[in-house]
Amino acid sequence: MNLWVAITIGLSEIAAHKFRTFLSMLGIVLGVSSLIATMALTYGIEVGTRKFMQQVGGLEFVSILNKEPSNKQYEFANLSPGRTLRDAEAIKKSATFISHVSPELALNTVVAVEGGGNPERRTVRGVYPDHFVIGMHVIGKGRFLTPLDIERGTRCVVIGQVTATQLWPDSPPDSAVGKTLLIDSKPFRVVGVLSHYETDVQSRARKTGSRGSKSMTGRRDPFRSKNEAVLIPFSTMFQEFQSGLYPLDSMDSMKLDTLTVRVGDLQHFRPALDQVRSLLEITHRGVDNYDLDTREEWFGRVETSVRASRLSGGLISGISLIVGGIGIMNIMLASISERIREIGIRLAVGARGRDIFIQILIESMLVSLIGGLFGIVGSLGLLEILKAISHTENVPILSIESIFLSLGFAMVAGLLSGIYPALKASRLDPITALRYE
Amino acid sequence: MSLIDLEGVSKVYRVGEQKIRALDGINLRIEEGEFVAIIGSSGSGKSTLMHLLGCLDTPTTGRMNICGNELSSASGDQLALVRNREIGFVFQAFNLLPKLDVVSNIELPLIYSGIPADKRRARAKQTAIDVGLGDRLSNRPTQLSGGQCQRVAIARALVNNPRILFGDEPTGNLDSATGQMILGMFDSLHAAGKTIVLVTHDSAIAARSKRVIEIKDGRITREYNP
Repeated sequence: MNLWVAITIGLSEIAAHKFRTFLSMLGIVLGVSSLIATMALTYGIEVGTRKFMQQVGGLEFVSILNKEPSNKQYEFANLSPGRTLRDAEAIKKSATFISHVSPELALNTVVAVEGGGNPERRTVRGVYPDHFVIGMHVIGKGRFLTPLDIERGTRCVVIGQVTATQLWPDSPPDSAVGKTLLIDSKPFRVVGVLSHYETDVQSRARKTGSRGSKSMTGRRDPFRSKNEAVLIPFSTMFQEFQSGLYPLDSMDSMKLDTLTVRVGDLQHFRPALDQVRSLLEITHRGVDNYDLDTREEWFGRVETSVRASRLSGGLISGISLIVGGIGIMNIMLASISERIREIGIRLAVGARGRDIFIQILIESMLVSLIGGLFGIVGSLGLLEILKAISHTENVPILSIESIFLSLGFAMVAGLLSGIYPALKASRLDPITALRYE
Repeated sequence: MSLIDLEGVSKVYRVGEQKIRALDGINLRIEEGEFVAIIGSSGSGKSTLMHLLGCLDTPTTGRMNICGNELSSASGDQLALVRNREIGFVFQAFNLLPKLDVVSNIELPLIYSGIPADKRRARAKQTAIDVGLGDRLSNRPTQLSGGQCQRVAIARALVNNPRILFGDEPTGNLDSATGQMILGMFDSLHAAGKTIVLVTHDSAIAARSKRVIEIKDGRITREYNP
């Protein structure tokens, strides 16, 4: 008996008991649709997380932190100048695997407009042009700070959208370019306004016109500091706000508030870190008072949690597929005890045990295949419902692989649950089966 | 060589602790082209004998050769092959599949011979026409009379052109006129050279054969030519 005949017999058998078969395949339908839906959800989370990681600078982003030197080095720790602009210059010149270096000086002060309206307390940062790349900034209007601004110590400022809106609430944020801003009472000209940074949830909330999900309001906005940024040239920061405390020619030895670098190519991540470390060892005169903070651990944790949610979702769907398989086994057992006489007739005209075995197995797999196809349709509906009722951080993404994988699992469930009934049917004694009433 | 050759064949059933000797030392030869009736009351062992001859079962002891196949201790697959190629069955209860139409019922043995679909359909249709069911090809068994059902069963038994045709009380469920018509078909098949073995308890039916074998308590008690 060939496969096609077995499939035809199976299909006609299913057609003869539509409702019963449908009930028995319900488990598979639910299993497949929940499996596809979970995979789409976790895939969405994964893609969303990756995107967010990219937005905050990715794995390439490494910051150099201060560290207390060990007791052994305590006595000569003073020899080290600490984290200074020299470090930045050295890294920029000699660390070939590092593409960008961003030293920063920070000052917490009052920012206001002329006439004194709307004063705001802000952290003003003195930065280099490289900060644009390292901070993953996008310019909305105007320009970013240039090397010329650094060289001349110009009184230019680039601000975030939220800052612009707070200072000039009556005009659109982009129109702030060209206006004058007072930082600690000193006038600065706004040369650029950054784009408004928002998460997927925020952008969706904005597009749909809703006020945003409740879950977001309580949570820290990851882009808050970028949207509230006030950025001025590094040299200007030193000259205008720090030179009173230090000699004018001491800019190179100013202690930095932040020093961040960006690895050019992740393939050379380790060598890049080594380059930075050996340079710092020289500039810090052998004192081990610095630390390289990478995001490997953080990203690793995120990856692990994504994997965990995928696994738990898969497990639940897997259990439901097993339940579905048991449903099929149940119905196949019922079906063969109804068809004992038919099996007897088939055996009498020359069917072998294995012909009966294949027929029952094919039937069982057909039930699960059809159930799986219904499940795929069901998963589309399920995803729509999920999208509607829950404001998840990330939109579920349906992948072709997940569809085929789920269908494959359903077929395996059908195959496994068909084996026992098929074996039972194929071992029937023809005489007993023929006499069965 | 005989078509059917049984030598010292016994069949013992085990029912709990009890052993039931359904057949006891049967010696039987049937040649090609014979028309044989096996007669006996119920419980005589005639059904058991027919199951053995029909390759539905194997003997407990003794030697059994059907159509040149040594089947004393054959496997299920070997028996199935002989059933499929060499044997056609006509049962008292017709044993048609109610979900299939006439042609699909008739083509059943051909499915298990691995004959391609188009040839299978053609041969099944031709056989249906041969037994006089040309106008009933796509009817279901439930839409047919008893006589028509039995003709479908005969067509199914003949479709693979077997060497032996078995009838197990083939007229038992039919009225006498229809029964006569079915027996007439067996007569003409015999005339055409087919080997026929009928199992019955009715001596009037047995009288239409050329050789009667009487069975009682699992032994052949009498053999005669009517």
